[in-house]
Parts: sequence; C-alpha cells; structure tokens
Amino acid sequence: MSEASYKFEKANRGLMERLFEPPAVGKMSPVAKIVAYSILVFWSLFVIFPLYWVIITAFKNGQIVNEGPYYIPFVDFQPTLDGWRAQFATDPFCDLQSVGRQFVLYIYNSVAFVLSPVVTIQPMEPQICKVWLAFSNSIVINVFATALCMIIGSMAAYALARIQYKPKFGNIMVFVALSLLTIIASYFIHWMIASAVALALFFLLVRAYGKHFTNRLGNGDILFWIISQRILPPIVVIIPIYMMFQAVGLLDTHLALIIAYAVANLPIVVWLMHDFFAGLPIELEESAQLDGATRFGIFWDIVLPLTRPGFAATTLLVLILNWNEYLLAVFLALAKSQTMPFMVAAKNAGERGILWWEMCAVIVVMIIPVIIMAILLQRFISKGVLLGAVKG
Amino acid sequence: MASSNISGKPGVPVTFDKVAKSFGNVMVLQEFDIQIKPGEFLVLLGASGSGKTTALRILSGLETASSGRVRIGDRDVTDILPKYRDISMVFQSYALYPHKTVGENIGFPLKVRGVNAAEMEVAIREAAAQVQLETLLHRYPRELSGGQRQRVALARAIIRRPSVFLMDEPLSNLDAKLRGHMRAELKHMQETLGITTIYVTHDQIEAMTLAHRVAILEKGVLQQLATPAEIYNNPANLFVAQFIGSPPMNIVHGALQGDTFTAEGHSVKVPVKAKLRKAILGVRPEDCSVTTAAKGDVVGEIFTNELIGDHTLITVKTPKDMITVKASKDYRGKTGDKIGVSLTKSGLYVFDGTSGARVR
Repeated sequence: MSEASYKFEKANRGLMERLFEPPAVGKMSPVAKIVAYSILVFWSLFVIFPLYWVIITAFKNGQIVNEGPYYIPFVDFQPTLDGWRAQFATDPFCDLQSVGRQFVLYIYNSVAFVLSPVVTIQPMEPQICKVWLAFSNSIVINVFATALCMIIGSMAAYALARIQYKPKFGNIMVFVALSLLTIIASYFIHWMIASAVALALFFLLVRAYGKHFTNRLGNGDILFWIISQRILPPIVVIIPIYMMFQAVGLLDTHLALIIAYAVANLPIVVWLMHDFFAGLPIELEESAQLDGATRFGIFWDIVLPLTRPGFAATTLLVLILNWNEYLLAVFLALAKSQTMPFMVAAKNAGERGILWWEMCAVIVVMIIPVIIMAILLQRFISKGVLLGAVKG
Repeated sequence: MASSNISGKPGVPVTFDKVAKSFGNVMVLQEFDIQIKPGEFLVLLGASGSGKTTALRILSGLETASSGRVRIGDRDVTDILPKYRDISMVFQSYALYPHKTVGENIGFPLKVRGVNAAEMEVAIREAAAQVQLETLLHRYPRELSGGQRQRVALARAIIRRPSVFLMDEPLSNLDAKLRGHMRAELKHMQETLGITTIYVTHDQIEAMTLAHRVAILEKGVLQQLATPAEIYNNPANLFVAQFIGSPPMNIVHGALQGDTFTAEGHSVKVPVKAKLRKAILGVRPEDCSVTTAAKGDVVGEIFTNELIGDHTLITVKTPKDMITVKASKDYRGKTGDKIGVSLTKSGLYVFDGTSGARVR
C-alpha cells in the first residue's frame, strides 16, 4: 500500500465505517432513516423489476411490445391474453378435460414403464398439450433427478466425511489400463466377454501385485476427483453421452434426463454436503454408535436432521440447476420428454422473430413451481439447529 | 434387555491385557495392563496426552488397539463393534442430540434396540427419576442448564443397564460448585447401581474422592495402580508423588549414603538404606514444620508467605530447591527471614535421582 493511499484510508476510516456498518435502523435520525429506506426501496425495485417486466409482458401482444416500452397495465396499455391463448386456447388439447385425460394416460404409461421388465403393456400415445406436457415433464424429471442426486450424493459425502478410504494409486492405474484394453478388445470380441475377462484380470493382478504398491490416495483426493468432474464443461462430453443413451435405447425418455441430471449435479451435492457433515461434532455420532445405532441409523436419525438447513439449501440449488437445464435436454429429449426451457427457447425459433409476450407467458408458468419450492424449503434454512449439542 | 428394574445388577470385570496404541510413530499407550474388579470405580488419572482417554476409547471400541486384548466379563471384545460391547459412555461434551427432547435423548439407546413404546416410557421415567429430571422430559437440550444436560447424559447412560460405564471427564464443563455436587451424586449412583465404572479425569480431587482405585498414567505408561490412600501415602515413583497432593510434594536434591540423606551440608536420617550419588528426598508440606535456622534439617530463607485460611503456606528457598511448608495460620515470618525446616521422619520418601523410582 502506498503512503498516500494509507493516509487516505486513515483519514476516511470513520466515514467508511459509517457507510458500511450503519447503526440499527431504530437508532437512526429521521433524515438518515429516510435516506436508508429510499436506498433500500430503490434497490428492491431494481431487483424486482425484471420479474415485474416478465409478468406484464406476458399480458401484452405483438403490437404493444413493438410500440412500447409501456410500463403500467391499464394505464399505459390494455392487457391482453394473446400470449396465453397461443399456449392454451389454440392448442386443441389444452382444455381441462384433455389435460385430465392426459393425466390419466400419464399414470397409465408410467405403470407400463415400471412393469415393462415383467409384462409388456403397450403405452398409450398421449394427446399432446405442449405446455402441459413440458411442464409435467419438467416436474417429474426434476423431482426424481433431485431426489436421486440428494440421496446418493449425501450418502457419498457422509462416507467421505467419516470413513477413511485409502485406495492404492497402483490399483486404480491397473483398473484404468484394463478398461482401455477392454475398449480395444471389444472391437474383436463381444464386449461382455472382454469386460468379464478384464474384471477377472483386475482382481488377479490386484491380489498378486497390490501389496507392492505403496502410494495411497486419501479422502481429499477422492473429493477433488469428484469435484473435478464438474470442472469439465458438459458440452465437451455431450456427444459421448448422447451415444451412450442411444446405445441403451433411452433417448427421449424421462429416465435419460433423470440419470443425466442426477449425475451432472452429484459433484456439487457431494462437495457441499461433505462440508456440512464434516462440521458436525463427532461425539454425537460416537455416542449414538455406543448407544447401539447402526451406521445408517446414525445417518438418518442424527446426522440428517442436524444438517437440515444445508440439506435444504443444497436441494434448492440442485432443483434450480435442473429446472433451468437446457444443453443436456436438447440432446437427450427430442420430442416426448421435452422440458420447460424448450418451450421458452421455441418462442425464439419462428419466422416472426422473438415472440416476447408468448415467451413471457411460458416463463411465468415456469417460475411458479420454483417460487413455491423456495418458500417451502426456506423455513428449513435457519440457523441454530445445533444449539445445545455439545457445549453450554 | 430393557430391564425396568434400575438397581441391582452385579458388575462385570474388565481386563486390559498388554494393550498398546500408536498413531504413526507416536506411542500413546504402552503395555497397558489392568484388571478391573466387578463393580469397581476405577479412575484413570493423568495430564493431557497421557493416554488416559485413548485407553477409554479402546475399551469403548471407538479406537482400535495396535496390539493387546481387551476383555469385558469373560468376553474378548477386542474386535467387536462398540454397539455389541454392552457399554455406555458419558462424554465430556455430553453429546446430547440437540433435535431430540430430553425424553427422546434418554430413550434413544432403547429405541435403536427396538424396545416397545410402553416399556420404553417406563424405563425413561425411571432413569429420569434417578437423576431428578422427571419434570424436564419435554424440553430440548438447548433449554437446559449445564448441570441438567450433564444429568440427561447420565440418564441416557444408565437407562440400558450396561455392563460397564465409561466417563470421559464428565464434570469438567461444570462450574466448581456444581461439580462438587455432581461428584457426590455420581459416587452415590455408582454405589447403588454397582456397575463397573471407568472414569477419566485430569483432576486429582475427583480421582481421590470417587475412585476405589486410581490408575495414574504418564506418557502412555501406567505409573501406579492403587487405592487413593495408598497412592497418597505410598507413591510408586517421583512422578506419582508430585502429581498427587496440593500443594505438591516438596523435593530436595542431594545424595544418599546408608540411611543418611545429605544436601547442602545438612543431613537427615531417612527410613531406607541405599547408596546413591544422586538422590531426591520427597516430603509433603504437611510433614514439614518451621523452626529456627540452627535446628532445621533444611535451611533457607522465606520466599513467600501465603495465608490460605485455616493454614499458611510458606515457601522456603534453599540454595537448590523450593520447599513449601504448611504452617499454622498465625505464623508471622517475613520474606527474606532465615529459617530452618524440620521434617517428620515418617513422612520422608527417597527417590532415585536419575530414574525417579522409589527407593524402599
């Protein structure tokens, strides 16, 4: 720090402190109160305005948008339902009865899918109300993908926080080398045979040479490896992912997106939840262990309730990431399993330019569940859960 | 399993058989060998890092021994999971589950064992009654005082009627007054229940008042295992002699020739015979008395004079050592006065100056 700037800092310290650490609102003078509230009101408007703009644009039409900008409904412009009609009224399957029928079909098809390994039930072709289809797809995919991701991710994070793993670096390298060999070999022989041989070889080699490998990795290395999967931009691997889902015949199914989303967000969940778990006092778990609880019992009955705020926050984060996801959906959901971001993007694809008013109507529909989830989860995101655990 | 009868179950013996533990190159416990009698209250006493908590954790199963065996009753539990050892433990931090009520906390050990609700309810009430918590069953730990939390932890430990109680400095988070009260309650409870108890502490008062026998540990090595009186009156080595007693035992550096201990030209007859070039004479403050410089066994000048209440502690500076004398509360000596200290012969201990071992 230069001499001059140091002097400046010193001279203005009082002012800076007053600016950034103001006293409680109750103790301010009336003038200061007015200034403080004006700033807060201004900033709130600044933050809320985009949301407001989306909502009023949903009630405009092409003419109003092009002549605009108009800010206040009923004063500046007469609201219309054109944007909404484009979604619902002009689509012959979007009346309530059709949506109800579709809902029944939906359940029927889900049952058919679940039972498909046992009995073959021909799924019924749904009559498509596009918005409803995309909306229900989004909901189903999100709920399952987030649940799967949170279950696997939090258990993995707990294991990494509490169990010491010491995988040998040499063994991992043997596995990687054998995997590569399997891929090459599967050009000449059936891949199942190649994999089986490779797996057998792996166990033999590890048994024979494993004791000579001395370099070990720790939990930190595993954790870093997991988060490193998220450092890679998804676009790099999107074509292999597409081909994999094509090979197993899951393209354009909910399952494909559920798996893809769960895997994509797993690193974030593991990383975040690991910190929450590692921060818990270990005596609680040791005490439960002595009291006779099983590992899973401890996780379920002691650890999860105590990390509820973190768990809720992580769930919300994953939900929102999944809700907005577009790239994977473009490749994996071609028609039947399209999600809401598609509907938004589709409004930009026509010959008439961007249909702002229709797009905003879709966005409003899309925002509602997120707001509901945020309200439901935010009451869990409170502090003080650990009070009274270990110290007075 | 959930006996509704809280009192009266014979204790079981606990055996440490040459247990050792090392973390990397650091030996935290060496050749730890103890037989604990059924129903005994054993205190593991030592400074921090002495290995006392490690010994307790090995018995609980939270830590595994590097070598040696641990037996509870006639069962070898060395390789058995904590939950199958039939023990319960009170942690220094109490480790109460903050999201559960007092009742749920106390009942937790029964709940995870699948005891039915009605039976559990009765057991919770009985355990809570033992520690005077009946009225607080619906509170949460955060709504309790330190002493009450401590009692919840105790109730959770006794509800299951384990074979062995483990306590890891359970009183150290309480204030002094409450600590004395809880100490008495703990002792009474252990006597009524008759459950073998192993108690870890660094507080010698707790050790002396609670224990049937005290095991003193230092740097992972067991120094002495004996009754509190034996430990005080007959310390096995210099470490034990100085660790127990407040203020600690005085030591005088010198040499031993036959039964004559010589230091700085003054000699004292001691009750043992040996020839040592480097010897240490130990004597407790209450076995010293103030006299004139001519009559004293040891001579020095007064360093400080502290009135405690019912007695005065006088610290006397000799050329090599400091000696604390417990004198009458009316003693009026001034700093710098030349005085002598006479030693009671029956209260003299001699230790080897190099190894610290007791010369008998």
